[in-house]
Amino acid sequence: MKNFRFATKVLMGAVVACALSVSLTSCSDDDDSEDELPIQNNDNNGNVVVSSNITTNTTWTKDKVYELGARVVVENGATLTIEPGTVIKGQSGTGASARALIIARGGKIMAEGTASEPIIFTTKRDDITSGQISSPNLTAEQNGQWGGLIILGRAPISASANEVQIEGIPTSDPNGLYGGNDPADNSGVLKYVSIRHGGADIGQGNEINGLTLGGVGSGTVIENIEVVGNQDDGVEWFGGTVNVTNVIVWNAGDDAIDTDQAWSGTLDNFVVITPAGHCFELDGPEGSMSGSHTIKNGTVVASRNGRVSEDLINTDANSEVSLENIHITSIVSGQTINRTVDNPNVSFTDITLDILSGTNIDDYVADGPAPAGITAGTTGKANISAFSNWSWTAVAGETNGL
Amino acid sequence: MKKLFFALLLVSSVSVFAQNGTIRGTVYEEESGQTAIGANVVVVNPLTGTSTDLDGKYSISIAPGTYDIKVSYISFQTQHIKGVVVKSGEVTVLDDVYLKSAAMELGVVEVTATATRKSEAALNMMKKKSVAMMDGISAEKMELTGDASAVDAAKRVTGVSIEGGKYVYVRGLGDRYSKVTLNQVDIPGLDPDKNSLQMDLIPTNLIDNIVVSKNFTADMPADFTGGLMNVETKAFPDSKFMEFSVGTSYNPSMHFNKDYLTYDGGNTDFLGYDDGTRALPRYSNSINMPSPSSGHSNQQVNEFVKSFNPTLDAERKTSLMDYSMSFSYGDQKQLAKNNESSWGKKNPTLGYIFSIAYKTDYKYYDDVAYGEYQRPTESSDYELVQANLKKGEQSSHSVLVGAMAGLAYKTTLSKIRLTAMHLQNGESRSGKFFVENSESAVGQSGFIASSNNLEYNERSLSNVLLHGQHLTEDRKWEVDWRISPTYSTSYDPDIRSTGFTYTPLDTFFSAGAGGNPSRIWRSLEEMNLTAKADITYNYELFEEDAKLKFGSSFNYKDRNYEILKYDMQFEWNQDWNSDNPNQALDPSVIFPNQPNGSYYYNSNPFLNPNAYESSVQNIAAYISQEMSLSPRLKTILGVRMESFTQWHTGRDQAYAQAFEQALSSGGDLRNIQAGNSLNDEVVLESVDFFPSVNVIYNLTEDQNLRFAYSKTIARPSFKELSFAQIIDPLTNRYFNGAFFEYEDWDGNLVETRIDNLDFRWEKFMERGQIVSASVFYKSFDSPIELVRIPEQQTTAEYQPRNVGNASLVGIELEATKGMEFISEKLADFSFSGNVTLVRSQVDMTDREFNARKNYEKDGQNIDDRRPMAGQAPYVINAGITYKNVEKAFQAGLFYNVKGPALQIVGTGLYPDVYQEPFHSLNLGVNKKLGEEGNTTVDFKVSNLLGDRVESFFQSYEAEKQIFSSFNPGRAFSIGLSHKF
Repeated sequence: MKNFRFATKVLMGAVVACALSVSLTSCSDDDDSEDELPIQNNDNNGNVVVSSNITTNTTWTKDKVYELGARVVVENGATLTIEPGTVIKGQSGTGASARALIIARGGKIMAEGTASEPIIFTTKRDDITSGQISSPNLTAEQNGQWGGLIILGRAPISASANEVQIEGIPTSDPNGLYGGNDPADNSGVLKYVSIRHGGADIGQGNEINGLTLGGVGSGTVIENIEVVGNQDDGVEWFGGTVNVTNVIVWNAGDDAIDTDQAWSGTLDNFVVITPAGHCFELDGPEGSMSGSHTIKNGTVVASRNGRVSEDLINTDANSEVSLENIHITSIVSGQTINRTVDNPNVSFTDITLDILSGTNIDDYVADGPAPAGITAGTTGKANISAFSNWSWTAVAGETNGL
Repeated sequence: MKKLFFALLLVSSVSVFAQNGTIRGTVYEEESGQTAIGANVVVVNPLTGTSTDLDGKYSISIAPGTYDIKVSYISFQTQHIKGVVVKSGEVTVLDDVYLKSAAMELGVVEVTATATRKSEAALNMMKKKSVAMMDGISAEKMELTGDASAVDAAKRVTGVSIEGGKYVYVRGLGDRYSKVTLNQVDIPGLDPDKNSLQMDLIPTNLIDNIVVSKNFTADMPADFTGGLMNVETKAFPDSKFMEFSVGTSYNPSMHFNKDYLTYDGGNTDFLGYDDGTRALPRYSNSINMPSPSSGHSNQQVNEFVKSFNPTLDAERKTSLMDYSMSFSYGDQKQLAKNNESSWGKKNPTLGYIFSIAYKTDYKYYDDVAYGEYQRPTESSDYELVQANLKKGEQSSHSVLVGAMAGLAYKTTLSKIRLTAMHLQNGESRSGKFFVENSESAVGQSGFIASSNNLEYNERSLSNVLLHGQHLTEDRKWEVDWRISPTYSTSYDPDIRSTGFTYTPLDTFFSAGAGGNPSRIWRSLEEMNLTAKADITYNYELFEEDAKLKFGSSFNYKDRNYEILKYDMQFEWNQDWNSDNPNQALDPSVIFPNQPNGSYYYNSNPFLNPNAYESSVQNIAAYISQEMSLSPRLKTILGVRMESFTQWHTGRDQAYAQAFEQALSSGGDLRNIQAGNSLNDEVVLESVDFFPSVNVIYNLTEDQNLRFAYSKTIARPSFKELSFAQIIDPLTNRYFNGAFFEYEDWDGNLVETRIDNLDFRWEKFMERGQIVSASVFYKSFDSPIELVRIPEQQTTAEYQPRNVGNASLVGIELEATKGMEFISEKLADFSFSGNVTLVRSQVDMTDREFNARKNYEKDGQNIDDRRPMAGQAPYVINAGITYKNVEKAFQAGLFYNVKGPALQIVGTGLYPDVYQEPFHSLNLGVNKKLGEEGNTTVDFKVSNLLGDRVESFFQSYEAEKQIFSSFNPGRAFSIGLSHKF
């Protein structure tokens, strides 16, 4: 039967050649799109290229640079251990070619960096080596070069179904599912991790955050996280119960702190510097389950060096969040707190705004007047020292004076 | 004896040839509706004549004058036709001579030659006598309705409705269950989203007739369930013709409109193809495409980015009107005189036809909308929540060029024709939209953005048909064979979409909101080979005519499909002067320049997961027996075997990424562990037997009762059995191939097998009047539907899946009736109308039922059954025709509507989408001018009611919300054609 088919193919090939010669189509033009433009220095950098999913326990060591050559998933049952000081670089790509590291449900990441040896996730374009904090060749604005770090767990989410697909991962990859019934789920440990230049474009309204936490449970430890120059959000929570401490987000292309699907945990001590979108994009439940989170002890820089954030805080009619002890500085005219006024589940406590002279605090709250918890003030609220030395933001002097 | 008679004729008819005129016509047996082969056609004085060939046709060359003609045929009454006028150098066509059976009445039937009637009556006769249920439309009717393409003409047929102006649906069943063939040959569909041929590609002046069969018989392909539409192109023109026609159409809301959107294309756009202006730039499909991370120098990257066409914005220009022109020429030549030459090659005749058509139209829709809506979470909230609403304007300019040439040769017992056809269609589209994304919806981030879309679609189809028909001398055996290769392409070169995101303080490109600028190149190439042979044996069984028919067919198709996508990135902080999209590729901001530093990333792995090659092979054989069990009861019993195999080469993203990595790192390419890949592997294979039973019972002379049972099949398409993920750049909706396993979906898409039952009563009256009523039932095993993937909340994604079993029951009423029964004054008016009512239901899968139950609203009681996707609950066609033969004037008013069909199956959060009925009311007027009626003027108004084409999200107790909506406007067209 195959021979018969082969004969048909040959015959049809002849017919096509004939048809093309009489047809008006332009497809017979010289196709030079596949020509290769030679490059000068095709140096072999010695990176360890990782392009398939991690299905058995694996350790990445700081003496090597690991290059993400694909969407790499730490699958159910496997643990990826990353030594302090290790540098991981994502190859460039968008859409189907976007590189990212995904910790799937049941998989674990043990990335325990230290203040002297943070673990750095960056782009292949970054010439950074283990031991360096600042990029020797890239600026903090360069983004969208690779995907990001995505951690998915089995903690409850409030979505249209018990488990849904994470943003940024195509529907065709079931490793992108998250959500479940285990509030204490443990996806591992993330300490002293800096994530840079990510946020690859997947499609309209669809890209990868610096750190994505989908249904991550309270058994997971996440502290001392930096996200620099991510094309989408800095850190985004989709439900889950995980608590996070010490987060610094610099130059996010969209929102800095983004919460969805009734995340019920706490973010404690953070610095946000000039996201292009909302400084805080705080959404509520999307399913029948409700849950509230707390965001406290932080300092926000709403404009700097020509970068201006879209607004200061953004909450909806169904948001459930407690905002406590946050200071916002470098506010420009037009930046406001946008909220649904009569939502009893959003509370503002000790929020201070560094308002421009000659203006009133009510000018900074859309549909004012400002609630009692929002007042004018000039003092930073975050513990800046938590970011000293190990974060690029601090080393670059961006936290000076906050 | 007969031989001697004809020999005499031959001798007597050799004379003056040059000034002669010609009499041509077709002879039918009234009993069977079939053409009479070998009937004697004799001019009484001077005695000359011939016999009809295998098409029932004859041709007599004779000096100018007025003649009486006698048509005789064994066991039929002889018919006299008096007063046939023959003019020098002209052809007098005597069509539709029906011979009555001699057993019914003795004597000679006399008729008078009247104005030429074309084959409308012949089609009705075919319909009356055919054992299988069928409906048709002839060239005559197309002329009357002023229909410009096969698609316009097809919607006049009972139970037929048209979607998107391109696709034919029968009895409200979806495209999946309809099939279109050209000259009984499978033609590849050009749209990867559809199964069947786009009918708007075929201009009417190439069409001889269209026949729609609603019942499967063993000699037809088994993969249709609603209807099989066959378009037959012209072969032997009855008389020499040279016709030139021009037409123009004016739509007040679209034409001479200064808001019309367009963009600079190539110099050959007016011929329906791109001259290379939109071709992929050099190096764009290389393994290491120049980008800041590729290792190329800044200068190299800069030059590469500049090689992309910098136009990203649509500009406004005043639109023109639609116009069309066509030229056709054809004739037949007798290669020997009346009945001359040896018996083996009697009446050799050569027919030829040539036609070329050009058509262009401009469309401008000033309020197009695409929406995404969700159900609210709370069971006490009913109104739908807006997730995304895209509103704006859209323009298109379409060019269609068609050329066909045919050469045919026949003798009394043999016919061979060769037809070649090429269709070329180019459509340039430009759009400007505003996108309003609402953060209060699930999975949405909330933004306001613009969207500028520039697209070009280039389609072509080249088809060659070699067709032979042969009859044995005793006329008992007939052989019909066809070989037909087709090559078709559909290219979308350089679809550009660019949209700024607006915040209160800034305007910029935001990947997380309105998206970064992107461009797409899509290509589809398909080749197709069909070869088939049908053999018929005519004999007598139980003292009645019987037919044994058997045959075989071979069909092979191979499709190559590829999508290449390029996304723009910005190296530096963005800083724009305005929201003009052309800024994005202004040389001053292209990488490595600051600010912005725009460049492209290649989103296409070396092995593209969005590319596939698929092929199918279908080998079929059948046998059927047509016989009369009594003089009034005829049957066709048959069975068809189809051995079907589909191969696929493609891979998913994970495999593609791993392969690329192995390639660049020197890994083992044959041992890629990640993902899934198919390399020319069988993905669908089956051998099926399709039985069919058709019974026709003559209640009375003019009334039939029919019954039919058959098994048919609906197979997944190339695209459905793939790993492709295809984005619609306009709506940002994704199609996912069925191979992806997801939750309860196992990635194993299988064929749908259908049982069909039909009953019909019909009454035929004089002058083509008909009344009929049908009841039909169909049951579907594992129907395929397009399902919204519930787990994906960020983007709207769909996947074809087998859903629960389904069934439908329908009734169909049809009437074509003159109006003289109301009043004599209305004798020139006739009414034709048909109504199809269908009730369908699908048993939901548990998952679908539970998902719906989760979003059940207070007071709602969700059933575990729903209508079938794509099935309209009713289809109505109605028309009133006025025809005045003396004044050569015809007019018709036609109405067509298809009831609300479930377009997309929602789940839980996502409501169902229903197509809103489109009330199409069209007026056509046609007048022949000049003594010979050689000039025809026609006037047409379409969409008289000014209805919109819309689909809506619908949910319990909630206001319906837009899925898609546009206004086609009212169009006035006028056409002029002249026969030389």
